[in-house]
Amino acid sequence: MDEAPIQAKYFDGASSRRRDVLVSLRPDGLLAQEGAETLAFWPYDAIRRADSGGVGMRLRSARAAELARLDIPDEDDARRVAALCPRLDDHAGGRVSSGRIVLWSLAATASILLIAVFGLPLLADRLAPMIPRSWEAHIGNVVDGQFKAIFGNKTCASEDGDAALAKLVGALAKAHGLDLSSSPAVIDSRVPNAVALPGGRIYVFRGMIEAAETPDELAGVIGHEMGHVAGRDGMRRLIQSGGTSYLIGLLFGDVTGSGAAIWITRTLLDSAYSRDAETHADDFAAAALAKLGRSPEPLGELLVRVTGEKKASPMSILASHPVSGERLERLRARKIVATGPQLLDFGEWRALKAICSKANAKPVDKPADKPRN
Amino acid sequence: MTEADTTAGYIRLPGSTLPPPPDGPKPLVFDGDAGEFFRIAAKGAALQLVTFGFYRFWLVTDIRRHLWSRTSLDGDRFEYTGYGRELLIGFLFALAILSPIYLAYFLLGLEAERYKAFASIPLFLFFYLFQQFAVYRARRYRLTRTIWRGVRFWMAGSGWSYALRSFGWMLLTVLTFGLMYPWRAAALERYKMRHTHYGDLQARFAGTGGQLLARIWMFGLVILAPIALVIASAVVQYRFGARLTTHPTAGFLLACAGIIGLTIPFLWPLLRAVEWRWWVEGVRFGEASAKCALRKRTILVLYVKFILSAMLVVALAGALIAAIVAGLTYGYGLKSADLIKMRGDWISYIASAGVVLFYLVVGLAVGAIQRYFLQRGLWAEVARATTIEGVQKLEAVGARGDAANALGEGLADGLDVAGF
Repeated sequence: MDEAPIQAKYFDGASSRRRDVLVSLRPDGLLAQEGAETLAFWPYDAIRRADSGGVGMRLRSARAAELARLDIPDEDDARRVAALCPRLDDHAGGRVSSGRIVLWSLAATASILLIAVFGLPLLADRLAPMIPRSWEAHIGNVVDGQFKAIFGNKTCASEDGDAALAKLVGALAKAHGLDLSSSPAVIDSRVPNAVALPGGRIYVFRGMIEAAETPDELAGVIGHEMGHVAGRDGMRRLIQSGGTSYLIGLLFGDVTGSGAAIWITRTLLDSAYSRDAETHADDFAAAALAKLGRSPEPLGELLVRVTGEKKASPMSILASHPVSGERLERLRARKIVATGPQLLDFGEWRALKAICSKANAKPVDKPADKPRN
Repeated sequence: MTEADTTAGYIRLPGSTLPPPPDGPKPLVFDGDAGEFFRIAAKGAALQLVTFGFYRFWLVTDIRRHLWSRTSLDGDRFEYTGYGRELLIGFLFALAILSPIYLAYFLLGLEAERYKAFASIPLFLFFYLFQQFAVYRARRYRLTRTIWRGVRFWMAGSGWSYALRSFGWMLLTVLTFGLMYPWRAAALERYKMRHTHYGDLQARFAGTGGQLLARIWMFGLVILAPIALVIASAVVQYRFGARLTTHPTAGFLLACAGIIGLTIPFLWPLLRAVEWRWWVEGVRFGEASAKCALRKRTILVLYVKFILSAMLVVALAGALIAAIVAGLTYGYGLKSADLIKMRGDWISYIASAGVVLFYLVVGLAVGAIQRYFLQRGLWAEVARATTIEGVQKLEAVGARGDAANALGEGLADGLDVAGF
């Protein structure tokens, strides 16, 4: 190896002084000399590559000062040196191959998704009953405030209507020994819907009362919402969606859980949990109605009437509720026929249906009523 | 260290071209290949897709290695010695710290909502401080991974002290309707730079708030003018106008406000150019200083190129989707209802997955374009415009400082304030 010495720049890692050196390739290592002074001797197997910006080659030594560097500007020289260094690109795990990163990422993702799909529902099931009622009531109050802000705090009330609603609710609650902290209220909105908030407050929307043709249909809806209260689904949902946002945020590097990709994934996972909860609430309503000697079928019929005969569509995977037709079939499969007395008599039912009509409306709450449709 | 020492160590290779005068200004050179950077960004985007985003730590590392090593001063290249793995570990540590904080934040938020007096302002404050802490510590990580001539850059100082300063100055800035902004920038840079070192050479920041104000006051006017015009218009309307018709003067003032308001988005690149220039010229390492000839329109052009390319990508993606839908509808005579009947629930899974995938691909493509223009482009232009005076004062600096951990980077990643 007695070829021409290599011109190079040497930095000893102790000062920023640049030394213009001549490198000679010895049998067991390279020797950097400035004039007659030997500045470094690097054994070949300790030499590693450092970033040279695509020009020539920059070397470091695993056995020299951490930041000592040798810059070899000439490409041919660089190749000659590279051929002698057996562990030039051995970075002791510092630089990882893309393949390994992909593999580990997939494993981590699979583990996170498994926790989200199987672990979280389990966790929520166990945790929700352990949360003190008083906490749940706090959360319920917060949600109630937001809910009222959205729907403009417009509730309906009339003496006869309230009495009829209280009778219906009382019967259902008694059937299951459920102790509701507050009685249901009617929201003046044309949307046919009903909701149960954490803490047990139930809201029935005017649209749902208008859509219901018999007391049984409405009783089914209220029974369904009571099912949510009994199952503490509000709390479970809170734990689950908090957990999923967090886990999905973990994946995409945003712990707060914002961003559209996160939103889409979350919605998919959340609605899967929610459909389970809906099915259980339906079962709860059916059981309550059966105790009162009434059939749960009208609930299914009402749902089909409200949502239309929807079949599975691309959006149904995003929907929080199971398809109404499927729910009707499930309820029909129970084959319960009405044997008991009607839950409300004709007069009571008429009063409840009219609970939001102009004559009964509280003037403060409803300054300008929209035409009915 | 004396003058004689530094010149004694300065020996040129025989046969090299005529050396420039040793004490003349030296340009900061960036010679990175644009295509190579684009390949790094594109490959990174693709790998981010298959790794569900985890590749970002290695992508950021690759980009920094590229930018640092293609930048040289006085013939010697910079080097970035960080590893993607360090960033991943930093992120995991940040998670361990942030998770209980987020839980506490969630519970506190519930309580705060109950006692309206609290509201959520103290929580916001807490997160602001945490973010600023992360910004400082992330800078420290990057700095300690930056090597030039075998000597490390490093940073001391306290992240919390910085965060408190940043908060105090932000408060002042808000209270003065932004007037104190230049002094805030100068004070924070002074803190960062006086704790910044190259080996045993301490840095400082010589730029002042007054200098920055002199360069950006007209930006402030352009932002404040529409507000003033809207107020003036309202006053005219109230004083002289009829109830249902717009007073001509009020309408004119409002239109002026709108036109001036439209120019505000274009101010951002201009402001960045001015700030970069002010910053570069304010930095001192010992007796070395910098001159920067960065032009405002250079940065404006970069932003315009970025926005146009991003729009092109989104438009192409939209056209592709439209073509697929049209092809299915007309080409095969299928209605969307038929598609659903064909596979039942299956198709809905595929459709949802397709939508998510498509969204991610477009997002990542725009991200790669952004890195190309706004990271590489900006870096290259700032380097190209900068010359360093007194490089010879950097020639016998002793090595000092250790590599800092990547916790700050992890926090910055988790809190969405990550930079270069």
